[in-house]
Amino acid sequence: MRYVGQALCFAVFMLVVVWFSIRPEHRLRGADEAIVSVSISHAGKRLAECRTLSQDELNELPPNMRIPDDCPRERHAVRLEVFADDILLYRDALPPSGLWSDGKSIAYQRIRTAAGSYAIRVNMSDSGNDESFDYSETRSLTLHPGQNLVIDFDERSNGFTFN
Amino acid sequence: MLSVLQKTGRAGFSVLQHVLGRVFPVAGNPLNHLGALTIFFCWIVLVSGIWLFMFFRTSVSGAFESVEYLTHEQWYLGGIMRSLHRYASDALIITLLLHILKEFSFDNYRAKRWFSWVSGIPLVWIIFPLGITGYWLVWDELAQYVALTSAELLDRIPIFTGSMAANFLTDTGLSDRFFTLMAFLHLVGLPIFLVFGIWLHLFRLSRPSINPPRRLMAGCLLAMLVAAAIFPAHSQGKADLAFMPETIQFDWFYLHAFPLVERFSPGLTWLLLVIITALLVVAPWLPPMRRALPAKVDLDNCNGCQRCADDCPYSAIEMRPRSDGKSYAREAVVDPDLCVSCGICVGACPTASPFRTRSELIPGIDLPALSAAELRESIVNTRLADDSANPRILVFSCKGNPVAGRLRQAGEAVVEVVCMGQIPPSYFDFALSRGIADGIALTACTDGDCRFRFGTDWTEQRIARTRDPHLRKRVDGSHIEMLWQSNRIARQNPATLIERFRRSIVSGSKPGDVT
Ligand code: HEM
Ligand code: SF4
Ligand code: SF4
Repeated sequence: MRYVGQALCFAVFMLVVVWFSIRPEHRLRGADEAIVSVSISHAGKRLAECRTLSQDELNELPPNMRIPDDCPRERHAVRLEVFADDILLYRDALPPSGLWSDGKSIAYQRIRTAAGSYAIRVNMSDSGNDESFDYSETRSLTLHPGQNLVIDFDERSNGFTFN
Repeated sequence: MLSVLQKTGRAGFSVLQHVLGRVFPVAGNPLNHLGALTIFFCWIVLVSGIWLFMFFRTSVSGAFESVEYLTHEQWYLGGIMRSLHRYASDALIITLLLHILKEFSFDNYRAKRWFSWVSGIPLVWIIFPLGITGYWLVWDELAQYVALTSAELLDRIPIFTGSMAANFLTDTGLSDRFFTLMAFLHLVGLPIFLVFGIWLHLFRLSRPSINPPRRLMAGCLLAMLVAAAIFPAHSQGKADLAFMPETIQFDWFYLHAFPLVERFSPGLTWLLLVIITALLVVAPWLPPMRRALPAKVDLDNCNGCQRCADDCPYSAIEMRPRSDGKSYAREAVVDPDLCVSCGICVGACPTASPFRTRSELIPGIDLPALSAAELRESIVNTRLADDSANPRILVFSCKGNPVAGRLRQAGEAVVEVVCMGQIPPSYFDFALSRGIADGIALTACTDGDCRFRFGTDWTEQRIARTRDPHLRKRVDGSHIEMLWQSNRIARQNPATLIERFRRSIVSGSKPGDVT
């Protein structure tokens, strides 16, 4: 009798273990939703251009710091927008990273959208320009349910990629 | 607030303990071995993990297939091992949680006892990452989710520059290097920390109970094997970063914080985790503070026999060379930082004898909160109605034990002590031979699960004359009843138990008489 009781206790314990090990299922997205992942890391332009120092200015510096170019390190924030047709999916102004604000700006966001055909438009500005964008691209695509569309920026071709 | 929580917790444990007490033997109640059970599950995880490791391939392309091979081709061994690995990891979260709740509810973490508590917290921070990195290695749809979400969490820590999560968005971005790092953490790094952490956690306790009773281990292992056979653990679809499944099967034991990352944000999740951890860390010092004075050695009465040091559950007594020129080799020295004021050492000291008449009753070691002399006073001062048909029972109870209150209400005489182990067996002899009582009933923590660890164990052994100081031979053992041993208290009113004890004394029927 005792052993039956013990077996019952172990059974209950193991059922709890097995159950919460797989259930309840976790829902990641709606049945007909797709994912748009914005993942761009891009350095904004420098706040000021490099300036060549005159000989007089150089002479005032200690000898070990006499570098002819004075380059301010801070960069502009990067402004980024993503639209699917006219629906705004993402909009942010991303400050440069790093202690001296001289690193890349990093955009990372996962957005769930209804699956379907869209004209996806990406706008980005990296020169502190508030009125217009330095880069802009529109791509017509069909997002299937569950598809993970990754939007990135390719530094070599200076264009966006849609994977 | 705190005390309400603790009270609720104690009530909950008491109910559970009673339920389990009906089918498990007193010493084998799983709730009395939560820490040890956690370690036992760690062993299962380790052994099964070694098997899995032998067949595992540490690469993005090979991981999934190698786990599939174990699960399906080698289901009879690898599959079972995989399920054991999974279910033992999950089970230990349950025992761990109960372990924390129990130590909290019974207030075993405050003041001098802070060390075990605080050193337990890093273990939590090792165990969860261990489980999480384990899910990562399977490289199925769940792993993909776990990888991406944990990367999003890590990206929130300012020391990492760049976006780690970006690596888990496209298959091309994913490198074997990350994978190797995860495998290293899961297989080597975190386990080493865990072993060291458990050692540290138990460092201050004397004789830590690291193994549950054999039968309990056997039962757990058998239960795991049956579960592994009926519900073998399996992978979900192979990870495909270009696709996100609609739902995934989810291990809530390890991954419960992850949905918070999606629902709210990585930052908020961290904040929550940090707050909970900080609360746990400071908990031992939150009010109300209870300051109890540590045990005090009286060198004139200490003969250096070492019994107190042997019995102290918290390694608070050290035997040092004699400092007062007496001819004994050593003397007892209490470390006030370790002493939790349980009094178990007093119960072990042969000089704590209530029969002493020539000198004042000052034992070699004594507890200021309730001294050996005060204890004798309270025994001598109990006036039990003299009635030859009704044997007089004197009840000893640990402080705060709810049974004591019920017995008092039922008209029984109760003497309270800090811990059962505080009473030297000579006191039972004293009460019986001086005619103060005809029987002695002892009531302690449920099932003898002493909150000072060894109080009830040592009491049992002293009364059984297997542990020094022995109960004197002349005492009739049937006149002492340890209520926790019977486990009947689960079903019966303690007052009824005392009545039954009374009747057994009249009829002299109780087994175990030693005269
Ligand atoms: C892997 C995780 C853990 C394991 C394997 C473990 C194991 C143990 C064991 C074996 C004991 C000794 C029991 C005895 O001999 O009386 C113990 C005691 C204790 N543990 Fe843990 N533990 C773990 C985590 C924790 C955590 C997270 C906490 C609290 C935050 C905690 C708090 C305590 C306390 C307060 C004691 C009691 C010490 C005393 O009696 O004063 N433990 N643990
Ligand atoms: S009172 Fe308890 S903790 Fe302190 S020395 Fe005695 S046995 Fe050890
Ligand atoms: S048990 Fe008593 S006599 Fe023996 S060492 Fe401890 S204090 Fe001294």
